[in-house]
Amino acid sequence: MTPPNPEAVSLRGIVKRFPGVLANDQVDLDVGAGEIHALMGENGAGKSTLMSVLYGLHRPDEGTISLHGEEVSFGSPAQAIDAGVGMVQQGFALFGELTVTENVVFGSEPTRRGLLDRKAATARVTELIERHELRLRPGDRVRDLPVGLRQRVEILKLLYREADVLILDEPTAVLTPPETDRLFGVLRTLAAEGRTILLVSHKLQEVLAVSDHVTVLRDGRVSARGRTADQTAAGLAAAMTGREVDLDRVHPAGTPGDAVLEARSLTVPGPEGKPLLGNVSLTVRAGEIVGVAGVAGNGQGELSGALSGLLKTDGEVVLKGQSLAGLSVRARRDAGLAHVPEDRAEVGSAPVASLRENLAVGFHRRKPLVRKGFLRRKAIDDHASAIIDAYDVRASGPAAAMGTLSGGNQQKAIFGRELTHDAPFLLVEQPTRGVDVGAIENIHARLVAHRDAGHAVLLISAELSEILALSDRVLVLFEGRIVAEFTKAEADQHNVGLAMAGGAG
Amino acid sequence: MIDASLFSSALTALTPILFAALAGALCRRAGVFNISLEGSLLVGCFGAVAGSWYTGSAWIGVVVAVIAATAYSLILAIGSITFDGDPIVLGVASNLLAVGLTSFLIRTVFGTEGSFSDPALRGLGQFGPLPGQSLLVYLSWLAVPALAVLLYRHPWGLRLRGVGERPEAASSLGVNVTKYRYGVILAGGALCGLGGAQLALGSVTLFAENLTAGRGWIAVVAVMLGRAHPLGVLLAALLFGLAEAFGFRLQGIGLPQQATDAAPYVVTLVALFLSNVKRKKGQPA
Amino acid sequence: MKRLRVLAIPVAAALVLGAILLLATGTDPLAAYGAIVSGAFGPDGIGDTLAYAVPVAGMALALAIPLRAGMVNLGGEGQLVLGAISALAVGLYVPGPGPVKVVLALLAGVLAGAAYAALAAVCENRFGVPLLVSTLLLSYPAMSLAGYLVRFPLKDAGSSLPQSPQLPEGTRLPELGGVTTGIFLVLAVIAVYAVIDARTPAGFETKVTGWAPRFAVYAGIDRPKLTVRLLAASGGTAGLVGAIAVLGFPYRFIDGALITPQYTWIGLLAALLAGASPLGTLLAAVFFAALTSGGFAMERATQVPRELTAVLQAVLIIFLAATSGVFRRKARRA
Repeated sequence: MTPPNPEAVSLRGIVKRFPGVLANDQVDLDVGAGEIHALMGENGAGKSTLMSVLYGLHRPDEGTISLHGEEVSFGSPAQAIDAGVGMVQQGFALFGELTVTENVVFGSEPTRRGLLDRKAATARVTELIERHELRLRPGDRVRDLPVGLRQRVEILKLLYREADVLILDEPTAVLTPPETDRLFGVLRTLAAEGRTILLVSHKLQEVLAVSDHVTVLRDGRVSARGRTADQTAAGLAAAMTGREVDLDRVHPAGTPGDAVLEARSLTVPGPEGKPLLGNVSLTVRAGEIVGVAGVAGNGQGELSGALSGLLKTDGEVVLKGQSLAGLSVRARRDAGLAHVPEDRAEVGSAPVASLRENLAVGFHRRKPLVRKGFLRRKAIDDHASAIIDAYDVRASGPAAAMGTLSGGNQQKAIFGRELTHDAPFLLVEQPTRGVDVGAIENIHARLVAHRDAGHAVLLISAELSEILALSDRVLVLFEGRIVAEFTKAEADQHNVGLAMAGGAG
Repeated sequence: MIDASLFSSALTALTPILFAALAGALCRRAGVFNISLEGSLLVGCFGAVAGSWYTGSAWIGVVVAVIAATAYSLILAIGSITFDGDPIVLGVASNLLAVGLTSFLIRTVFGTEGSFSDPALRGLGQFGPLPGQSLLVYLSWLAVPALAVLLYRHPWGLRLRGVGERPEAASSLGVNVTKYRYGVILAGGALCGLGGAQLALGSVTLFAENLTAGRGWIAVVAVMLGRAHPLGVLLAALLFGLAEAFGFRLQGIGLPQQATDAAPYVVTLVALFLSNVKRKKGQPA
Repeated sequence: MKRLRVLAIPVAAALVLGAILLLATGTDPLAAYGAIVSGAFGPDGIGDTLAYAVPVAGMALALAIPLRAGMVNLGGEGQLVLGAISALAVGLYVPGPGPVKVVLALLAGVLAGAAYAALAAVCENRFGVPLLVSTLLLSYPAMSLAGYLVRFPLKDAGSSLPQSPQLPEGTRLPELGGVTTGIFLVLAVIAVYAVIDARTPAGFETKVTGWAPRFAVYAGIDRPKLTVRLLAASGGTAGLVGAIAVLGFPYRFIDGALITPQYTWIGLLAALLAGASPLGTLLAAVFFAALTSGGFAMERATQVPRELTAVLQAVLIIFLAATSGVFRRKARRA
């Protein structure tokens, strides 16, 4: 086992600049061998940049990296891997078409007589799976695995490459609470073997539960560090945000009126007789936010598609008394549906087009943008400026390309466009994913104000805290079915979390 | 109607397409959309005829064809990989370049217009037991299992497929995406060179403007129909070759040539319909 | 200004490469280039340039229409030929006064091209065959059909060539200084396209689809319907070009005459280069037409084969595609 000193990983005075942004400013980080070290911070605090520097994806502008007291410099992830540093990135770097074994050995394959030695590869992978109790089957195609298991394939990849420093970037974002517990079990085992674990997270409870030490970043600098045992949730939150935060801020409940949207028996068939969406019925009333909680991939996409018309499904949807059966996306929007989709860059906007054009979409067939069949340039400009002002979209102007805006400002623009429809029903998916804190508060306040103005809102989110903060009612989707329903008073981390994992009766 | 000579002429018809389609499949597997196969084939044809004419050896012609088509495929490689240009624009432009350049060269080098043939021009000649089939025909069949082994049994193939599916993931594992993509485009060029040589020195013994007449495009379709798998591509090319040969046969019973010319394209389109219908049934969503 | 700078390197590269080829054939590059320019734009050449520009700009426009929505129509040749042969058949066999027949022939060309291209759109919508492939595959049978028709039912009995008889005197588009009056039809279609593109909801929806296809569907744009409409407009324009071609000199359909000059592919390149913008597509098409007619003049003046200009053209585009890729990448990084 490596002695605790020198440190397994030591970053000194790391500075990394991007055009217009100082992402890391003189950051020091020390991690001992056999330690689980949490790196905390909000979106944009510089966590991912710092880890990318350690993993060879970016070169630091200043500062040094040492492993076990020896200074190193990585020009590519491949060099980092050779030096024993591996990283599991948020999006995963797996090949769906390949098997577990192929994914694991990819890039350093065992060969026999020049060809792939499948036997040796499978044997080695099987041995690693058994030794670390990862419970994977080497021959399974990665495409067919649930996210929790895919993550283990990523960890397996690092073990196969004999990494002794493992970086995990927000590993629990896609996991159910029980899967999270199993992951932490694996991490503790690995740490006990003397490996170093760097856990990037913004979830306070997790960090307090699993880590030995913690470092907090804010605006690119270290704002707190120390033994986890000495920290409190409130103290870490304050270090992350720079101010006192009400951790359990919950917006006051609304006053629901008549039913606006009613869905009955929505069903999307799936493979092996397991429906992707099974017989889902729900009602959303005016002046009400209904939250749909659930781990990603449990039917949220299908539910959204069934309502918006992007997906053909069995079942019935009635909006303001009008049946939407068989209606196109456009007809549904005309009937009173607005929609903030999950994927901002591909579905919610055209990044190459200007803000002006992005904001005109959906209004481009009606007055005042159209007169006598022709688009009016002036009206389009006015429409865009009005939304930009009202929703505090920070951009160089309406001509700025959508793709040049920050995630938060893109989302504010999309919110502005969809709320401006003043449609009775609003479908919102993952409204604050990848959005900075300031914008999150802005967006949450907008949603509540929209509800209070008498609109019906269906909020689909994988972020449990968001669901709890905003919803008047909470539905839980698990394996395509609604398995639980809670009132605002009943819903809390524990019982909703349990239902998300399929643990509700 | 159906006899050995039908298959023999199908074999002749499909070989250039098979070479080009294998090139396209290789590129597709690595995530490169290659529509410049037509141009590469044509350059291969010209190289083969020029090489054979100047040296008096058909086999040197084959070598020249391979070199010429490989060098030519550098346009797509450099343009789309190093300079990140649009592969469709580059593909269409390089196809036009091939037509222009070979027409220019046929006039400046051979001093004739339209087509060039000469009794002194050496063709490939028959090899093995099948009448009229050159060595390259057998080589194209051998290339099918060879590519399958490369793709599915060799580390390169594993990496290549990874590069095609998720280049950034492959790159994070230390695989040089640029190198692999250059590799498949250049190897594809070499295969097209062989296809061009077979067309200009095996099927016929001449070079003519636009001699390839859309075979490279058919190869693009064969890649799609065969799902970029060597065996699938072989079946697709075989279907096309059989349709062409069968159509040719139908001319013998009085159908006009134009009706039978169109047959392979219609058959291919129908095959695409059917393969899609079947796929839809197989997958519920 | 920035556009000009983007052009500078590719133009220089094409000229240098062309000069090397010219020197290899023992020709003075300056003399050859001079002949191209004077042949393209001089008093003798401008007519040729315009005559060649009509089909090239027409096909460029036809292919630009779906390209604006990110859809590539590779079947322009089939639609062009089908339009031409339909117009010819109407012109030859429909009774009535000449001017009426000309209008009917033009309409027949438009309809034939539009219907055939729409068929390719249906193949994508209903059978999942990608448009790129369905348009391409349908192109060949159309060319075969036209080839059959001019060899048998529509053959000119007095000739051994695969060509139709000439249209009668009254059933022709008049010429102005050696250029068909069809040029005005092409210009009119470009003007209509420009207005629709810039000022109407339909044009806006087309552009949104081109920018981000999934965004367009999310916003309620019906992609299958749009595909059929754009392809019909595209094929209709191609068919019109074909009709104009047979209604002008030599007033007949000759097998291969619309294919060999590569109108369709050159037109497609012009549209691709200009990002399918109406004015840019027109300018690029006229430029390519000028290069081609200049090439004929150069061949007459210097004995260098005119195909040199096809080479120059392709080299220019390849360099342009490559360098614009570099610019695009820089923009993405920022």
